[in-house]
Amino acid sequence: MSSTIQPETILRELAELWISLGKDTQPGPTSGVLRACTMTLVAMAEESEDPSNVWAVMAALMPEHPSRAIVIRFRQSAERELSSRVFSQCWMPFGQRRQICCEQIEITASDASLPDLPAVIVPLAVSDLPVILWCRGSRLARLPDFPLLARVAHKLIVDSAVFDDPAGILNWLERSSSSGQVLGDLAWTRLTRWRELVAQIFENRSYLARLSAIDEIRIGYGGTAVPVSAYYLAAWLLDSLEKAGAKARIQMESIPDAPGGTLARLELAGTQSDAMKLVINVSGDAERQCADLEVDALSNRTVFPADNDYSLLREELSITGRDPVYAKTLEWAARLANGGNL
Amino acid sequence: MSLENPFQDPLRFERRIPECAVVIFGANGDLTKRKLLPALYRLAYERRLSPGFAVVGISRTPMSDDQFREKMCASVSRYLEDSPFDKEVWSGFAQSLFYMSGDMSDAATFSGLAARLREIESSRHTGGNVLFYLSTQPSQYATAARGLGAAGLVKGSGWRRIVVEKPFGHDLASARELSEQLHEVFRESDVYRIDHYLGKETVQNILAFRFGNGIFEPLWNRRYVNSVQITAAESIGVEGRGSYYQEAGALRDMIQNHLLQIMATIAMEPSATFQPDAVRDERAKLLRSVRILKPSEVMENSVSGQYGPARIGGQDVPGFRQEPNVDPEARTDTYAAVTFFVENWRWAGVPFYIRTGKRLPKRVTEIAIQFNSAPHAVFGENGDGTTPNLLILRIQPEEGISLRFLSKRPGAGMNLRPVSMDFNYGSSFGERSPTAYETLLLDAMIGDATLYTRQDMVEASWSAVEPVIEVWNEQKSGFPNYPAGTWGPKAADDMLARHGHAWRKP
Repeated sequence: MSSTIQPETILRELAELWISLGKDTQPGPTSGVLRACTMTLVAMAEESEDPSNVWAVMAALMPEHPSRAIVIRFRQSAERELSSRVFSQCWMPFGQRRQICCEQIEITASDASLPDLPAVIVPLAVSDLPVILWCRGSRLARLPDFPLLARVAHKLIVDSAVFDDPAGILNWLERSSSSGQVLGDLAWTRLTRWRELVAQIFENRSYLARLSAIDEIRIGYGGTAVPVSAYYLAAWLLDSLEKAGAKARIQMESIPDAPGGTLARLELAGTQSDAMKLVINVSGDAERQCADLEVDALSNRTVFPADNDYSLLREELSITGRDPVYAKTLEWAARLANGGNL
Repeated sequence: MSLENPFQDPLRFERRIPECAVVIFGANGDLTKRKLLPALYRLAYERRLSPGFAVVGISRTPMSDDQFREKMCASVSRYLEDSPFDKEVWSGFAQSLFYMSGDMSDAATFSGLAARLREIESSRHTGGNVLFYLSTQPSQYATAARGLGAAGLVKGSGWRRIVVEKPFGHDLASARELSEQLHEVFRESDVYRIDHYLGKETVQNILAFRFGNGIFEPLWNRRYVNSVQITAAESIGVEGRGSYYQEAGALRDMIQNHLLQIMATIAMEPSATFQPDAVRDERAKLLRSVRILKPSEVMENSVSGQYGPARIGGQDVPGFRQEPNVDPEARTDTYAAVTFFVENWRWAGVPFYIRTGKRLPKRVTEIAIQFNSAPHAVFGENGDGTTPNLLILRIQPEEGISLRFLSKRPGAGMNLRPVSMDFNYGSSFGERSPTAYETLLLDAMIGDATLYTRQDMVEASWSAVEPVIEVWNEQKSGFPNYPAGTWGPKAADDMLARHGHAWRKP
């Protein structure tokens, strides 16, 4: 591995790549390749991880979020080492008329060389477009110089579900958010389906009118430890109920047989006699989950869409600015996870 | 205390449908099976429907709720577009489907419906909101509306709206009569005249493209636009709709409604807001600005055609008059092309060429905006250096936008060639676009009439096409005048040639 990489060299290689792609196409008025770009998407991954997994996610995202994609693979080493390679991904969407191509850069770096990376990423970022940093591992986010790289990004995306200390990660995220960092957390993104279902029920005015009588929230999760997602869900519900003038008590319980770290059940109820009762039970795996919904005597069943890195990132990349609902929820979730009163 | 839903998160959540019941008249018909139920199922699949949502199907065929569910299950799984059929979702959705048989001329049908709706409102909490969808013969619209009115179904604890399918009359007088009949019972604001073309993503994207981008609108006028072509071509014939089609014809079936609405969307002034009536006011104003052709101007500005038999791809294709249920002497136009002019400051003198036809070489709907050539050919006649810029808005089959501009051909010398910059909906956003019926049903249930046609728009477009129909009726047809599989009669090419233009071959 060479010890340094030059951004100018990478940019030159990219330019050559475009020329060679153009030469490969048939001549004609609609020939050539079309470069599409809406952002610079930087993914941080462990070198031990199969790179094809990361690239598969990046590739799937390209049609909807065409970007200059940079994958940085980190090796646990105290030596300062950096190397790179450049390639492209193209697809032919218009009945074989024209290829759309996106640029892909793979950088291999040692942990020790992390401080050198901002100076590489900044010139490689496509001008006037946002830089999104997706950090795939808890170890990488804990590297001492990680904030140097995070500062380069307009938005930082993590998955707090992979961290083993919910209170710790929520505190860290809350501090970052308070200091102005735009954040996305895939653990929060996973909740969109749950939240949408709850919101949809209260689109009905007769249920909405009874919302203020809800004073109990029960959240069921898999595994022994309360997952970050349960704190998020509780925080969001409390915040939303408060807007409706309701104050509820939170109860979290482990559900036997539910996969560890996942949410399995939500119950909203009230102690008054006319209070409504809403229960959502979710079963299945990450690829396909069924949600059984009961609102008083009415029941319904729906299917949650696939829950994977691609679908979660797809949603997060659609929001490049600050998400006020998430920011408020994060603040409350951090307090909940630390045993605070709301 | 505010009655806003505190759980809503517009940054992440899709638009949702409030609790309501949809009553479909003509529930055993083709439109229900092919379009309406698949669209409603898709909305359920996307988790857009409220848990208490309900559908009540009505037709003359006796059936139980379960038989109706089974029938619709078969239709939805067959006609669902670009989307998987999920049995789990269906089982939940099927519980919201109800059926009752009845004749619309019988008052008991409507009193029975009233009772059924009360029952559903109480069990499924639909809030008294009802959308009536007339998927029936147009001749039954007035009967249905009166029946609903007489049974007191137009008033209730929630909103009541009615959706009607085209044709909205067969001429200006009958369109007015139909509106009057509907208005006996429903307010105009509760009448939703559906034009499925307006529900297509690209048609909606025209508004985003024009009014969301600062760079195009300054060019959107007579100073820079040379001409506009709107093409809606179908490669198929009348496909079993011969008896209906021979009464309607291409001008009535396509241009009077879909294509004039598209033209209005292309040419309208920006509205002050994106509120439904603000947008519809501008669209209506544009339609009222269309020059009404004098009888003496009709023949030079319009062409009718009818396809004759031909051999396409090794197969014999019948002419229109040889189609089943078609009069062998039919004078129906299966092709229509009209040059419209818009009489306002923005568009004065710019021809809008609209054509539509059956049995044309391919299925394509697109709008092509041709800009004026550069005022001075600085590069001479090298290569294709005189080709004007063209903006193409593709509506089907591939929804997207292309901009053609000139670029230097690589190498020595200054030779230019046209290149095309393409934006494709399907590939650029990577996700399935909702069908027009999904969009429009959702809008009607939400109460957003932006993409629906208003009475004044219907009347203005009839006023624009009626003189053409009248002159054509008086002329000898000379049909058939184009073989199936071609781009229509030669007279249509001549019509453009008189203005120094030529039809695009999309």
